Amino acid sequence: MGLFRVNRKHKSDRIIGVIVTVFLLIGLVIIYAIGPMTANYINAAYGAERYGTNDFFIHQLISVIISLLVFFLVFKIPYEKVSKFAKWIMLASVMTGVLLAFLAAIKSPLANCAGGACRWITVGSLSFQPAEFIKLGLVLYLAQIVAKCKKEKKLDTIDFWLPFIVASAIAFLLVVVLQKDLGSGVSLVAISLAILFMSGISMKRVLSFAAIILVCGVLVIVTSSHRMERIMTFFGEGSSDESYQIENAMIAIGTGGFFGVGIGNSLQATGYLPESINDAIFAVMGETFGFVGLLVIILCFMFLLSRLLKISEKMEGNSEYQLIVVGIFAWIGSQVVTNIMAMTGLIPLTGVTLPFLSYGGTSMIFTAAALGLCLQISCYTGREGKHNENISSGRRFRGAHYSSRSSRS
Amino acid sequence: MNKRFGFLRILLIFATVAIGTRLFFVQIIEHDEWVAKAEAQHNLENTLLAKRGNIYMMDGDEPVEAVMNETVYTIVIDPMIADQKKVKKVIGENAGEYIIAEWKDVFADKNSRYYVVAKNVPRKNAKKIEEKELVGVWMQQGTKRVYPEGEMASGLLGFVNNDGKGQYGVEEALDDRLAGKNGLLKAVKDINGIALSIGDENVLIPAKDGENVVLSIDKNIQFFVEKTLAEKLATVNDDKVKASAIVMDPNNGKILAVANVPNYDPSNYSQVEDAAAYKNYAFEEAYEPASVCKTFTFATAIDTGTMAPETTYTNNGYTTVNDTIIKNAYQGMFGTITMQTALNYSLNTGSTQALRLIGGDPNSINRNGMDILYKYYHDVFGFGQLTGVELLETEGQISTPDSGYAMDLTYANMTFGQGVSISMVQLASAFSSIVNGGKYYTPSVLAGKIEKDVFVKDENAKFVRNTVSETTSEVMRGMLYGTRYNRRLYGIDRPGYYVGGKTGTGQVIIQRSDGTWGYSEAATGETIANYVGFGGAEGELPEYVIVVKIWGEGHHFEGERDALPMFDTISNYMIDYLKIKPKE
Repeated sequence: MGLFRVNRKHKSDRIIGVIVTVFLLIGLVIIYAIGPMTANYINAAYGAERYGTNDFFIHQLISVIISLLVFFLVFKIPYEKVSKFAKWIMLASVMTGVLLAFLAAIKSPLANCAGGACRWITVGSLSFQPAEFIKLGLVLYLAQIVAKCKKEKKLDTIDFWLPFIVASAIAFLLVVVLQKDLGSGVSLVAISLAILFMSGISMKRVLSFAAIILVCGVLVIVTSSHRMERIMTFFGEGSSDESYQIENAMIAIGTGGFFGVGIGNSLQATGYLPESINDAIFAVMGETFGFVGLLVIILCFMFLLSRLLKISEKMEGNSEYQLIVVGIFAWIGSQVVTNIMAMTGLIPLTGVTLPFLSYGGTSMIFTAAALGLCLQISCYTGREGKHNENISSGRRFRGAHYSSRSSRS
Repeated sequence: MNKRFGFLRILLIFATVAIGTRLFFVQIIEHDEWVAKAEAQHNLENTLLAKRGNIYMMDGDEPVEAVMNETVYTIVIDPMIADQKKVKKVIGENAGEYIIAEWKDVFADKNSRYYVVAKNVPRKNAKKIEEKELVGVWMQQGTKRVYPEGEMASGLLGFVNNDGKGQYGVEEALDDRLAGKNGLLKAVKDINGIALSIGDENVLIPAKDGENVVLSIDKNIQFFVEKTLAEKLATVNDDKVKASAIVMDPNNGKILAVANVPNYDPSNYSQVEDAAAYKNYAFEEAYEPASVCKTFTFATAIDTGTMAPETTYTNNGYTTVNDTIIKNAYQGMFGTITMQTALNYSLNTGSTQALRLIGGDPNSINRNGMDILYKYYHDVFGFGQLTGVELLETEGQISTPDSGYAMDLTYANMTFGQGVSISMVQLASAFSSIVNGGKYYTPSVLAGKIEKDVFVKDENAKFVRNTVSETTSEVMRGMLYGTRYNRRLYGIDRPGYYVGGKTGTGQVIIQRSDGTWGYSEAATGETIANYVGFGGAEGELPEYVIVVKIWGEGHHFEGERDALPMFDTISNYMIDYLKIKPKE
């Protein structure tokens, strides 16, 4: 465990690339179908041509192209050379959050606020969501300090806990308290917790940390009326807005039935379902593709996530890489699960996007970057097992290679 | 570490199973419930309102609008969000007279979302309110009937109630034609209520607008007739007194005027206290027409060849039928007199004698005579039967010779119009056939319709049957002309014109002061006065038939004194209005 043992590079886990591409294309199709409806009812509501028929689709198409480029780029740029900047990446991401808070404080038009929450920095037609950047920064930074402390056997010392807690707390403070983005907060907590959990530290510590987060979470919820409302809604006595959105998400999903109403026939997307192209895209897909379609999408997500777990598991030799993948697993996994569970009424409503499928550039680009990194890391998974010991030839293997299960741990 | 990876895997599997199960329940098990909820909010079902047809009257040869539609607005308030002070001020200033609600009631329930505060607000007032862009105030468009001729012919026209249904008169009788057929739009809608083309159960049935109906009523004649009746009523000055009149073209049955005075205001029909005011008495009320019926008795006798105007009998001022004395109202002209004289003086002995002659026995009323009179009254002249006019009417009442005991007395009474009841429209139609050469036409108030701004005329006459022979008709015209000797003498009937008619003073069945029911006292008791007559150029067929009637609870009206002068006035107007040329 003492050494950074980077395995010999081999072919990447292509299946990740395939899933990412398929998801981006499905998202594109859905936006193509419901974008005009969305433009239509928004225009009608404002009585003005705010959006052209294909504006949403074109915007999404651009995001998809950029995301694919970023995915490929991150896959290709060796992280070895970047990893020493992890601290600075974290710092930069925090700075974007600080900048947003500052712009919001001076009521700058660059801070894009909705409903009292300022989550985007908008310059012209470009908008940027610092929370997404912070998620990536946090993953890279925490993975690095954990790996470093593990290497230096300082895992349960102040040298470890101080940066770990400070970084987590700052990220959480910026996103949840200043940007009032509890959904992203859930991802941040998932990232911190997962990295800590997989650091190998004693379960006592992990549980203590979890308990502290739980207390903080409760405090954050009870001190904010809109979060309280969401909780109340979930228990059936909340405001009409929250219950309206959940009710309509359920109507969309419920009407989908077995095979869905088909592309372009979603009625809930004609204005009944708020955020139908963003947070509620899963519900629209439920209406469009039905139970069968949603099951395929969920299984794809779960397949992707379990693939990430496998990559991570095979990165025993490189704690930093291993924990980066775990962090990304937690990030994407938490978003997928909270989004879907909120839309199906299993947990209170949180405003998170569904990775790759929701409309919105920043989230898509950063998750693409994250998976690009996972794909790169998948090239260095260890090849353990007897028959792999002496591989030195140029023998080509198809795809990523894992042994059935690691014999060492 | 493997354990911890295993834990994450279990988490993942747990989430997948939880979500999958949930989706199965929502999408498969509860599918129908969600579909029902979805339909409740997506489905749009709009009734496309058909436009109610206008009603036209004739102005000479041109149809003119008598009943039209006006776009009006109902103002609805959402008391929960409306600004009480502002709303009160703006609506009060712009539509004050149309407010139907009490402001304190409107805002009494703060949780109410819907309160109708004003109705029938005209477009220009509604527009002013709309310009103020008040929150929580909206308007529903509707239509309202408007009456360019005001109250004219209200009893004939009827009105449209708040539910859009025609009530009384033409509006009710022709409701199906006027109303048209509402269309239907079934579709799905977006959040803003706009119909979408998504889905395959969309239905669009366009509304079929109602017919624009043209009445045969001539508004000028109608106006004059109503004016004449109203002037008469003004001399009586008792709102229990009413007068009705019909003017008919005897050569085709087209009705040129139907007056029921006093009128009511159809645009404020709800303010009428007694629904009797809505009644089209001329069609809907049967009454005993009294002596005008002698026309029909004499026509029967002449048509059966049993009598001529010159036929004589002995008038003693009374006659006995079945041990009951039938007296003449006029006690005079005793001795041997002609039937023409009997008609001129409206002697009941004369018409009773006519019935005896019809039966073939100058000394007594027999069954044969009653059968023939019944056949003529009922089958030929149509008493006791609906005329078939387009509006609500009564068939009246007539007894067959088998109806009971002492029918000879009943039939003697029927010869002078007691014991038989008819409507004015029956009288006008039957009388027309007597003077027009013997042709009975179904009376009609319709002239046609307006289709795409073009007046499409109905076929002119609905001939039903021959009543009396042309000769009888000619003889009857002569007899009826004969009754008006003094009208010519005093210059009321102008030379060169041929005007004839018959008075009637009908006793009515009342409860006497001793509590028993029976006929009112003829000389001074409550009576109905009516007159039926015709006019035209001398030597030509008549061009108009007029029936007038005046009655009122407790009032004594006489045919000659009260009904006849109204006929005279209208008759002379008709000669001028129709530009009838006198015989040189």
